[in-house]
Parts: sequence; structure tokens; C-alpha cells
Amino acid sequence: MTTDELEKLLAQQPVAVLHRLARGRVHRHFRAGKRRLIELLLQHSSQNRAGFESDLLTLIGERQANPPSESSRRPGAPPIPHKKVVTKATDSDPSDPPVSLTEWLQGIGVPTPQPFVQDPWQIEALAAVNETDVVISVPTGSGKTYVAIEAARRAMEDNRSVIYTSPLKALSNTKYAEFSKIFGQDKVGILTGDRQENGQAPLLVMTTEILRNLLYDAASGQIDVRLDTLGLVILDESQYLADPERGVVWEETIIFCPSQARLLLLSASIGNPQDIADWLTSIRTTPCRLVRHSKRTVPLRAGYLHPNGRLTPLFRTLGIPQGHPSHLHPEAKHLFIEYEEETLPSGRPRR
Amino acid sequence: MPPSIHPVDLISALRQKHLTPAIVFLTSRRACDEAMEAFDHANFVLPTVRQEAIAKALEQVMAQHPSIAEHPMIPIVQRIGVAAHHAGHLPSWKIAIEELMRQGHLDAVFATTTLAAGVDFPARTVVITQSSIRKSRDFTDLTAGEVQQIAGRAGRRGKDHVGFAVITPSPYIDLSVLTKGLTGQPEAIDSQFTISYPMVLNLLKAHPHEHIQGILAKSFAQFQLNQRAEVLEQKLDVLHSKMEPFGPRVCTDWITQWHTFDHARRHRHTRHPTYRAEPPEIAARLPFLTPGRVVGFNRGRGIVLRQYRSKGQRNSMLTVLRPESAVTECPVTSIREIYDRTYDCPETSAYPWCSTDTFDRLSHQLEELPLRLPLLPILVATDGEPLPDAIVQSLEDFPCPTCPSRSACHKDFLTASRLRQEQHRHTKSIQALRTSLWHRFQERVEVLQKFGYLTLTTQLTAEGEWARLIRIDHSLLITELIRAEAFTGADPSLIAGILASLAHDDDRPGAFPRISPGLSSLLGQVRKLAESLSPYEDPPLLRADVAALVERWVADPTLTWIGLCKLTTMAEGDIYRLLARTLEYLSQVQTLNATHPGLADTAAQAITAIRRGVLEELP
Repeated sequence: MTTDELEKLLAQQPVAVLHRLARGRVHRHFRAGKRRLIELLLQHSSQNRAGFESDLLTLIGERQANPPSESSRRPGAPPIPHKKVVTKATDSDPSDPPVSLTEWLQGIGVPTPQPFVQDPWQIEALAAVNETDVVISVPTGSGKTYVAIEAARRAMEDNRSVIYTSPLKALSNTKYAEFSKIFGQDKVGILTGDRQENGQAPLLVMTTEILRNLLYDAASGQIDVRLDTLGLVILDESQYLADPERGVVWEETIIFCPSQARLLLLSASIGNPQDIADWLTSIRTTPCRLVRHSKRTVPLRAGYLHPNGRLTPLFRTLGIPQGHPSHLHPEAKHLFIEYEEETLPSGRPRR
Repeated sequence: MPPSIHPVDLISALRQKHLTPAIVFLTSRRACDEAMEAFDHANFVLPTVRQEAIAKALEQVMAQHPSIAEHPMIPIVQRIGVAAHHAGHLPSWKIAIEELMRQGHLDAVFATTTLAAGVDFPARTVVITQSSIRKSRDFTDLTAGEVQQIAGRAGRRGKDHVGFAVITPSPYIDLSVLTKGLTGQPEAIDSQFTISYPMVLNLLKAHPHEHIQGILAKSFAQFQLNQRAEVLEQKLDVLHSKMEPFGPRVCTDWITQWHTFDHARRHRHTRHPTYRAEPPEIAARLPFLTPGRVVGFNRGRGIVLRQYRSKGQRNSMLTVLRPESAVTECPVTSIREIYDRTYDCPETSAYPWCSTDTFDRLSHQLEELPLRLPLLPILVATDGEPLPDAIVQSLEDFPCPTCPSRSACHKDFLTASRLRQEQHRHTKSIQALRTSLWHRFQERVEVLQKFGYLTLTTQLTAEGEWARLIRIDHSLLITELIRAEAFTGADPSLIAGILASLAHDDDRPGAFPRISPGLSSLLGQVRKLAESLSPYEDPPLLRADVAALVERWVADPTLTWIGLCKLTTMAEGDIYRLLARTLEYLSQVQTLNATHPGLADTAAQAITAIRRGVLEELP
């Protein structure tokens, strides 16, 4: 395709397609206009023309396969009347009055201290980890560490040793300090690339790379007693499995993890935890249990702070409207459009 | 109006609404530092009680990590209760800030987005100012998972009823990325399985070659490939059922049959060339002058390699293989005899018009020909009709024109052949999905065999036995350097310097004025080797400035940490990370003490030399 042809093809596409193409390629500015966007895309495409073209063609293909939905249909095409009624009926949300700032700010403060109660998912996970491998996928700050500590405690009470791995040395050090406080200095050891302390302790904190190396050495005949009594392997931050450079280490560790040891994978919310669990089931001796939930322990509210210091809720609803990114608070929307107009570089057409 | 809110105003606004403590995520380290500078002239002072609380908490951390005692940021952090926290800082300083945050002494921390993935210290509020982050030189939009990871820091368990994520715009922000990230589902994660050289060596050390495919099949990568293959298999099943009405007809493979027939029918005109001005006796010969035919000239014999027409020549031309492997071009008229002898000669599209193997064989066969060969009797057509093209089938050879299912074939051909092509494509992709990991493994095995780490029977050689212990990036380069004895007799400081340049993968510019001649020549050697290995392994950055910095730190035990930081423009945190990574590389080299005692010893010396000052104090 020549540049002219490409330009023509781009010009024929609706703006939505161009925006999708621009994702991760160029800084798009939503009010910058189609012309400018095409210019930017063409400029960018000179670096990797083939990749760009193939992406463009897939997008066009996708679009032809699933024609644009009602909302993005051109004004000329009349919407199907009964469908509109249905969407309105199920989506009563936008007709509610938007939340006010005072409501939004209500409830700030420190809750009265309450006795610690296990969440149902924590009970479920702890019960499961006694019997089988467990994958936990819960939002950040839900109390994964509590599960790790309890599971480690129970394994150690059964005279099984425990290995806890984290992706970062800093995290390993923090956890080492934390576990030492809980279980006592002599029960916890640490092995990282440049630190080795108490290497024969029943609970070892290490980086995942170190565990991988231990497992390789064991597989090639170098006996390591620590692996014989190994009862539980806790892999924290397992979403690192998708890290472009280091993800492979997690896979190697899981593949070579001794079959007598239980695996406990702790991960932040990810889109496909069931896949991970199915994978573990397919390669391990016992079927893997998945524990997941997406509800945050502390509810979240989103706000918008304008550069002039004005604060408004971001969404119409008090909480986060799951699955409805367009339910913006009218004031936040208005302020943001104003902001974009103001920061728009001069000489560009304004709509 | 400024493009984004002033840091002082931001913190004041958060304070006023009781939204502190907050983590403010900014684009870069510089943005964090500039935000701190913005407080320099602001009338923004904490009450004395809180200042003292901060001082007290800092003293506690100092007891463990004395290196922060002199930190230049201490007074300002105490005065305003706000701090910056990013990868440019020393770990001890970051620990101090985290501790202050955990105890609730700070109102806000300016951080880069990388923090979201790392250490966890929650706050009541997170402030998001951007919708994209810098990933290897380029800005990419935050994914839903990343937005939620950032938002996940908001709301402390047991200390807050609610957490807040506040978006404040800056130029180039794309609000929809953030709203979609907040309201959407996190992305599915994909396997990033790669097969590295040490992995191959370690696998082959522990398992026989024939078991490896089964081990690779256990990877999450293969699990996901299988998922994709299953989708394709379902499609294939659908295609199979769609293909049912197009099963065998009069001919079993009627699609191919019709395809050939259709093709011949469409191209009939071009296949029968126009009448040429060639005398009948010459024209009669043409069909026989095919590649591989032995022909006689006035002097000597030859084997036809190809027949062609040339613009400047009246007659068809031949390329002929003559004795002593000579290749000549001549018009067909110069042929005296055509012998009843042909050799197998598959045509190729370029000179010498057959494969080199065939060429050698034909030259050989030409020399071996017996003196007398039977002639080929050629009938000359009496009328001017051209002879049917002997090589190409004519339409009369096809059963199709008279076949009873002709009309059905004609009607269904397009659909059926499209379906069949799709089937072929899917089958091929499924095969590729099932075997791609294994092929990648085999490619690595071949490279390791080439360099002598593996025998042809995929056993580890003596070299492979120790090379498998180097399990870091650029392992091939490091083991090749060791084999080339590049490190023999080198100082601990030189080895540390080289390994530092191998370990450092950050391209932030740094400056270091002097580099020792020994290091510079060794680095040149390493660069050359890295370049020659580039087809097999991505070459490292090999920056001279970081090498010189580490060399200096190891070589000069009197150099203090502050002195080292003054030598370069690199941030403290980066220097620390550089040294820590060098330590990791050195400890890998140290594991070679069985086979390379001298080298392992030097590495051990380098390790002890590096561990001093700030590096000793911290884990």
C-alpha cells in the first residue's frame, strides 16, 4: 500500500476506528479532529508500516463482521424503535439524578476498630489449601497476605516446610521482616540474589528466580533437603506470569514444583483466573481450586478535580458504575470538556 | 488556567476535603521532584506537633538505616508533610517514606506509576494525573488492570470507610481510558513463555531429549495455544459439516479435477501459442527439446536445460549443457540430432535452470554417455496445423466436458474450493500452534550444538555442564566470554565493570568522564563478541559509563557513596540498583567455582568489595 492509498483508506474509516488504531501508538486528542489524527497515524506508520497496515485491516475486518452498535450509528440511519425501549427499561440509571458532592464526601473517616473477622473467601481459601492447589484472584488490599500467613502457619504446624516467593527483592525483604515478627527469627529465612540468611528455616522467603534455580538444581540431581519436606509453595503477585521479561520464571516454577507440595497462587484481579486454575488442574495431580471475588473490602469512589481546584464526583453514581464508563457526572463531563477546549493547541478547528 | 493543577493547590484541596493521606501518581521522576520543589516558596507549614512526630518516626528508621541521616529531603518533608517516592531514591529512603506513610504522618506522596505494582502502602486517596505510562521509550495507555492496581491503593483496611480515586487532568490525558479502566474488567493475562539457552541446558541436564516435548506441553503457553487450537478445531468441525454436500462425485477429488479443468479451459488460448514463423521440420522438433534431452551438434553433444524464446532471435532458443560443464545458448536450428535419451531434469526458475545437484549429475552423465545413441525419429506434420502441446493436457483429456455431474461441479466449485482452502489453512495453523514451542526449543538446541554446549545427541558437553549454571540474561554472551578467556587475569574491578554493563538495561543517559584503558579495551572486546552473537541473542546495551562507575566503586575502597554519586549524573536509586544487579551477576559467576576456580574467586572478591557502605546496610 502506498502512503496515498493508506491515507485514503484511513480517511474512509470512522473516527472510532482511527482512535482504536491510535491506542498505544500516538497521543490522540479527542477534539483534535480526524485530519490531524490521520496525520499523526501516518507519521507513526513510517516506523512499522506492515504491522500498522495489518492492524488496520483487522480492525476493518472486525467492523465489517460486527457492524457498529446503535450508539455509534450515524444520525442518518434510523434506530430500531423497539430496541431503544428495551435499553431504556433495563438502564434506569441515567435517569436518576446524579450524586451530589456532599453525598459523595460523606463517610470519610476512620472506622471504629473492630475485631478481625475472616472474610468468607479467606475461609474458603484456607480450607481448600489443605487439600489441593489454590489460585486466589482478588482485588488489591483484600487481605491476601492473611491467607498466606495462615496457610504457612498450618503447614509449619504439620512439619511441612514452606516457601514464599515474591517478584521483587524489596517485597521479599518486607515480607521477611513481617514473617519474622509473626513466627520468630529462627523460623524464617531469606534467599535472594544477594542475601542469604537462615537458609534452613522452615519458612523461606525468596524471589521466584531463586526458587526456579533450586528446582532446576534438584531436577538435575543436586539433592536439596529443603525440597523433600516442602509442603507449601506460595507465589505472591502471580499476575507477574504475564510479565514480558520475567513471566517465564513463574511458568517454570509451577511446572517443576514438586507434586507433594501444594501451590498457593496469590494474584491481583485478572481477567482469566479460571484459565490459570484450569492449567494447574491439567498439569498437577490434584484439581486446582479457584477463589475469586471482585468486591473491594473498602469501597471506592471516583472524583474529578479540576485544575481550578473544583472537586466533583466523576460518575453519576456514588460507587463505580461497573460496566458503564459513560455514566459520567454531568459536572465532571462539562468541566473536562472545558479543560480540553482550553488546552487545545491554537490553530486547530474547534467543534 | 494552567494545564494542570499546581501541586500546592492540589494538596491544599485534598486536605480541605479531608482526602489525605493521598498518593499522587505522576508521569515521571522529574515530575515528582518538580512537584516537591513547588513547595519551596509556598506558605505551607505543618503544625509543630506533627513536625516532631515525623522527626521521631524518621529517627526510628535511621537507627536501622543510618544512610538516610544526611538525606537532603528530610527538612522539607518534615516542614510540609509531603514526600516524593520513586525509583531514583535509595531503597532506605523509600523504606523511610513508606514507614511514615504507614504510620500516617504524611499528607501525600508523589510517586511514579511503577509504584503501583511494587511495594504496598495504601492511602485514603489516590490521585491519577495521566492515562498513559512510559514503557520502553513509548507511551502506552494504561490497561484496566493497571488502572485498578492504582485505584487499589485507595482505602486502607480498618482505617477508612471509603477510598477515593481522584482524577485531575493534565495535557494529553484521555479520560475515557481511565473511566473504562475503573468500570471495566481487568484484562486476561497471556503467557510470555520464552525459551532461553540456560533453560534448554537445564532441561536437557535433567531430562532426556524425548521427554522435553512433554514438559513444554505443561507450560501455560502451550495451554493457551491449545485453547486457540481448540477454537480452530471447532471451526474446522463446522467446515467439515459444511463440506458434506461436496463429498466425492464421479471423481473422488472433484474439486482439484474441476480446478485443473477450469484453469486449462480459461488459459487455453495462451497455452496454444500463435503460429510461429518456423519451418515445419523445426516446429516438429520443439516438443521434444525438453529439459534433460540429449542432443547432438556439429561437434559434440549436450543436454537441454531449457527452451525459451528470445526477442532478438527468429527461432526458439535452447540453453544447453555442453561437456566440461559449459552452459551455452543456441538456436534450435543448430541442433543436428535429437537422441532417444532423456535424463531427469526438474526445471528451476533461475540460472542454471536446474538445481546444482541435478547440474552436477547431468554433467557427469554427459561425460559417461556411450559413443552411439539411438536417434529419435521425428514425424514432420504435413499440413500447417500446429502440433498439440505435448507437455500440457488438452481439454479432450479431461473427463469433465462429458461428465454427468458437470453442471453440479460448475455450480459448487467456488463455494467448495473456498471451504477447502479454509480447511487447509486451519489445519496448518492448528499444527503450528501444537508444535511451535517444540520448534523454538529445537532452534535453541541447534545453536547450542553449534557453539559446542551440546553434543549431536543432545547431551551436555563439559562446557554445557557449567554453562547451565549461568541463568541470567545474556547468558550466551557471558559463557562465550568465559570460554574466550576474556576474564583471565582480570582484576575484580574489571569483571564487575563488564558485568555491570551487561546487567544494566536502562537507557537513561548518564555521564562518567574517565574510563580506564584496561576496561575500555575489554569492553571493546565484549562489544565485538556481542555483535557476532547478535543473530542468536539480543546484544546488551554495554554502556561504558555504568561499567566505569562500578569499576571505580570496586577498585577504590576509600570511595564513599556520596563520592560515587558525584561521579555520575545517575540517580542514587539507579546506582544502587545497578550495583545490586551486578552483585546478582557476580554471584552467578561465583557458582562456577568447580570448573573456573580463578574466575569464581575473583568474582567473590568483587562481591565483597561491592558490599560496603549503603550496600552493606541494606538487604
